[in-house]
Amino acid sequence: MLLARALRAAAALRPALRHPPRRLLPLSSSFSSASPRALLPPPGSAPPLARSLWQLGGGGGRTALLRPRRGSAGGVSCGCGGLHTEGDKAFAQFLTDEIKEEKKIQKHKSLPKVSGGWELEVHGTEAKLVRKVAGEKITVTFNINNSIPPSADDEPQEGQKADEQEPDLTSTPNFVVEVIKDDTKQTLVLDCHYPEDEIGNEGEEESDIFTIREVSFQPTGESDWKDTNYTLNTDSLDWALYDHLMDFLADRGVDNTFADELIELSTALEHQEYIKFLEDLKSFVKCQ
Amino acid sequence: MSVALRNAQRVVPVRRAPLRRAVCALRAALGASRFDVGLVCAGNGLMRRLNGAYRHCPEPTDVLSFPFHRVAVGELPRPRCRDEYNLGDIFLGVEYIHQQCRATGEDFDSVLAVTAAHGLCHLLGYQHNTKAEWQQMYQKEVEILEELNRLTGSSLRPLTAGLF
Repeated sequence: MLLARALRAAAALRPALRHPPRRLLPLSSSFSSASPRALLPPPGSAPPLARSLWQLGGGGGRTALLRPRRGSAGGVSCGCGGLHTEGDKAFAQFLTDEIKEEKKIQKHKSLPKVSGGWELEVHGTEAKLVRKVAGEKITVTFNINNSIPPSADDEPQEGQKADEQEPDLTSTPNFVVEVIKDDTKQTLVLDCHYPEDEIGNEGEEESDIFTIREVSFQPTGESDWKDTNYTLNTDSLDWALYDHLMDFLADRGVDNTFADELIELSTALEHQEYIKFLEDLKSFVKCQ
Repeated sequence: MSVALRNAQRVVPVRRAPLRRAVCALRAALGASRFDVGLVCAGNGLMRRLNGAYRHCPEPTDVLSFPFHRVAVGELPRPRCRDEYNLGDIFLGVEYIHQQCRATGEDFDSVLAVTAAHGLCHLLGYQHNTKAEWQQMYQKEVEILEELNRLTGSSLRPLTAGLF
């Protein structure tokens, strides 16, 4: 995901990121003037882990960049005890630029609302939408981790130019709908998914916007999943029953409009968390 | 055997269960219950694209039918294997239909069922390009809608009423 975002964010300004990793050297003038030969380390002195990262760049001469420059004029004297390598500096600078780019293309600075009177609660990467209607409470829970499906094809599609802007990444998380009626001790739980990309765009626009995968009853208020309760899998379910379940959800506000708006919300949340992660990573790399 | 129903749009709320019931009843009235049918509820965008691609008329419309078999009017297909028990696909332009109903005051669910009946007849080779063809199709639509009316207590009339 990190690589995909880096490619997307930098596509317009720094096409160099799409080139072989040798371009990952820091772009600041203080390094560009140094001859690689001058940076060669004494044999056997480079940290083995760091060397494996740089072998991708094809340059054994790069390993010297990983040596901490203790006591040099450019050394960091924060006293944190952590490594402060040239690679870390380059990494931090890269992250600074990435964060700036990601914020520039951030579609929603605040999380978009979902229509229909849903209240939103966010705990890190998990979001919960809650709605009360008549004597029922409906919650929809999803997690933005691993919610961006991989691209099916990295090669340009037929008729598409190679340098055309990549499509925006969207987050399509699985989501769990829980329906609790006031007078029952059971919660109806429905596990819903967005369809995976079908072959070509035609398949995608002719399919349901979301599907119900599994249905189960669980004791209300208990956090542990009771796997001795029957779980209905819709793969081989009677289609009339499936349609009734979909109508049941639609009556409670979980319909195609909701599913589309949830994608907007999830995508915004995922992007927000990704930027936060980059910022945390930058702080960690610069100085622990 | 199956009616594969998909709701691929978010513009208009569609009740899936009653639509499926109606299509199953209409299919049975045609004597084609053992054949699969695909039914896609589509928005104006998809209908425009399909209409443009297949009829060179890039405008939204109410129904497009794509028969699996080429059959003589009113005859059932003669499948050679299990995979050929398929009448084809019907795309219901639900957004277009909804807009029409708002203009005319008709009931959306009723018009949806009548449009599905029309689409099913097209899958079995019925056309309405000439008056004779229309009369033949109109009769069949009346027949199958009467069966649906008997089951549901409704009083639906064919889509092609008054076409000629």
